[in-house]
Amino acid sequence: MGVVMPLNAETAQARTHQVVNEDSTDIALFVRSSQDDMIGWNRQRIVDALLRETFLDRGTAEKISRDIELTIQAGKVKTITGPLIREMVNAKLLEMGLEEARRMHTRLGVPLYDVDQLLVQHNKENANVPHGPEATNLTLAEGIKKEYALLQVFTPDVADAHLSGDLHLHDLGFIDRPYCSGQSLEYIKKFGLNLPHALSMAKPAKHAEVLLAHMVKFAAALQSHFAGAIGWDAINLFYAPYLEELDDDGVKQLAQMMIYEFSQQAVARGGQAIFSDVNIYWEVPKHFEDVPAIGPGGVYTGKTYREYEKQAQRFAWALFEVYKEGDAAGRPFFFPKPLVHITEKFFKTDGHMDFLHHICEVASVKGNTYFVFDRGDTAKISECCRLSFKLEASDIEDAKQPWKMRYSALQNITINLPRLAFKAQGDDAKLFALLTEKLQLAAKAHGQKKKFIERLMSLGKGGPLSLLAMDLDGEPYLKLHKCSYLIGMVGLNELIRVHLGEELHDSEASIKFGLKVIAHMNIICSKLAESMDMKFVLEQTPAESTAFRFAKLDLAHFNEEAEKVVQGNREKGEVYYSNSTLFNVGAVMSPIARVEKEGLFHPLIEAGSITHIWLGEAQPDKEALATFVINVFKYTQNDQVAFSPEFTACLACGKTSRGLSEACPYCQSKNVDGITRITGYFTKVSSWNKGKLGELHDRYRNVDRFNN
Amino acid sequence: MTLFTKDDCVLCEKLKKQFDLSAMDVHVEVLGNNDAGALAHLAWHGLVERARKALPILVMDDSSALHEFDHIESRLLDRAASCGVVAKRSGKQAGCESGSCALQ
Repeated sequence: MGVVMPLNAETAQARTHQVVNEDSTDIALFVRSSQDDMIGWNRQRIVDALLRETFLDRGTAEKISRDIELTIQAGKVKTITGPLIREMVNAKLLEMGLEEARRMHTRLGVPLYDVDQLLVQHNKENANVPHGPEATNLTLAEGIKKEYALLQVFTPDVADAHLSGDLHLHDLGFIDRPYCSGQSLEYIKKFGLNLPHALSMAKPAKHAEVLLAHMVKFAAALQSHFAGAIGWDAINLFYAPYLEELDDDGVKQLAQMMIYEFSQQAVARGGQAIFSDVNIYWEVPKHFEDVPAIGPGGVYTGKTYREYEKQAQRFAWALFEVYKEGDAAGRPFFFPKPLVHITEKFFKTDGHMDFLHHICEVASVKGNTYFVFDRGDTAKISECCRLSFKLEASDIEDAKQPWKMRYSALQNITINLPRLAFKAQGDDAKLFALLTEKLQLAAKAHGQKKKFIERLMSLGKGGPLSLLAMDLDGEPYLKLHKCSYLIGMVGLNELIRVHLGEELHDSEASIKFGLKVIAHMNIICSKLAESMDMKFVLEQTPAESTAFRFAKLDLAHFNEEAEKVVQGNREKGEVYYSNSTLFNVGAVMSPIARVEKEGLFHPLIEAGSITHIWLGEAQPDKEALATFVINVFKYTQNDQVAFSPEFTACLACGKTSRGLSEACPYCQSKNVDGITRITGYFTKVSSWNKGKLGELHDRYRNVDRFNN
Repeated sequence: MTLFTKDDCVLCEKLKKQFDLSAMDVHVEVLGNNDAGALAHLAWHGLVERARKALPILVMDDSSALHEFDHIESRLLDRAASCGVVAKRSGKQAGCESGSCALQ
């Protein structure tokens, strides 16, 4: 279907009185089809489309096509677009009460005005998407896939819940991909770079630089098959067998190459840098100690990884030297995010205090370090803003062949908690019943996405997910049966404020009730997991845009209740809810109290949590931070901590200064941009959405809390 | 004093049979699939990970916690004595071979 153009407008108008009985092929109209050509008007095309795409009977389709033909003939139309004919048919279907047929006959697309806006204005839904033609492509494609998902993948109740803001289905624009992926470098060390549809294949790398090239290419390929983060396990350990020939300068050079490769790769999907994470261990994790090491050429070196501790430590140290220096302008690197695992064994490993001071210095100077706490026998791989996959017994078994270790979450769905409190009106039973209802709906939505991905995966190596279907080790790269299904939450703090009249940081009663809400979510997730045989797990939603979206929607639809609790600046539209189970970002609390109290929630949120310590201009000494980190490990339940300083990058003189300033302290230019952590990663403040800007303004900076 | 237990936990059941816990003013929390309050209480004491390894857990009035069965039993015997409740030490070595004595 396409544009209907009267060859001769006057002739066409003259004919309008007699078209009822006229053969449509005689009408002097041409249709500019969506296949970029001009075709003669043929009413039969409407009939064919209705029969092909809907369940209408031929008689009804014929009637509709005749009615449309009449309308077109009767109109003084000089140009009609193909989509318009379809919309006319859809209007007719609506008029006839044929809602389901209308839904099936929907045309997905973007209004001209929206495209015009998109081409020139920066889309700030995700601060990791730059502004440029590739980003525009990404946004447009995402827009259509999002519509497709809501119409075709999810049932109307799920789609309506998303659209109304009861819950948020993340990454709808990437409906045909899983959410995120954590994996082992061993896969490419063993199998080389052998990707479906690639123009060439590479054998396992013989040199560290080549291994790095393979890693970066593979990460880019994975980025185009997953919506979110690409994480790498024990990266320093798995590089270790390649480092024996390198002196310290060589190792530093490799570290520099790795960090620059990932932080500068704004040339991949949508011009985005790959959201990448590297998991780093000072010790050799217990489950890798006796694993035979794979070295250059993909062959076993004859040693176990236990014997590579020193090489792994050299690389870990070098990586943090590079992080400490920052980029050419002294700015912090945004990616790859370094996640250092603090374990019982860490404290038993030689040199751990020196290393702890080293990474704490980086945390203070540049903020990069993420401290991931694996207490007791816990082992996990972390990625994204806070997501982690706890290794179960079968995973530890896989660790004997580490290339088999890969973990994925298929989708992430977030529940709007404050809205539940608005509806419950102080009634506990109603609140928990509503929460259960939303969790059930989220589980249903996960089931629908699972079914859709299974359908794509069933097409195997000839299908769109051929990379995920590749089975170099005998199993598809995406192990669907092991996937997690994430359920997150936004605004626990505001739920408590509505329900109890105070915020989480205000009293023990608030925290206890908050724990009950999250415990309820945990329990219902377990029950749903058992009944649906799917691994539902809670995650603290990063909610970069969701916290803003929910607040905006609630102000629109629950204004009286929402305006009492929404955070931020309503006049500027910079509104937000507190992320997940986080306390009010502006609450004046000591950092250890925040870590301890927020940490009470973390064991109930099995797929990952984090506490942010906003530093502002402060630059604590490394010893103070190291003591803090040790105390967090020993005396709290907190899962992960990051310290976030703020910077001003001058776009005029190129210098970087501490703190967020309106003008460069070196050259006084006002052409500056701020840099700090938005939710779980560093980025430029100019790319933030309004909600996060509101949060940035409210953040309590721990300026004098670390005795510097 | 609170004793965190689970329905199918052999060691928890053993303590419940051995002691008249209500007479000793020991609050019993049953962790399971239906009690968010009990799980939240456990989380408040920072004991979720500990419970995933082993149950029962006894939390004292000063919020300190005991995890070893023998220690819990000894403390409950002391409590029973101070409350005038008759109880005696179990003869057999306590153990949980089924793996059910932990929060799933």
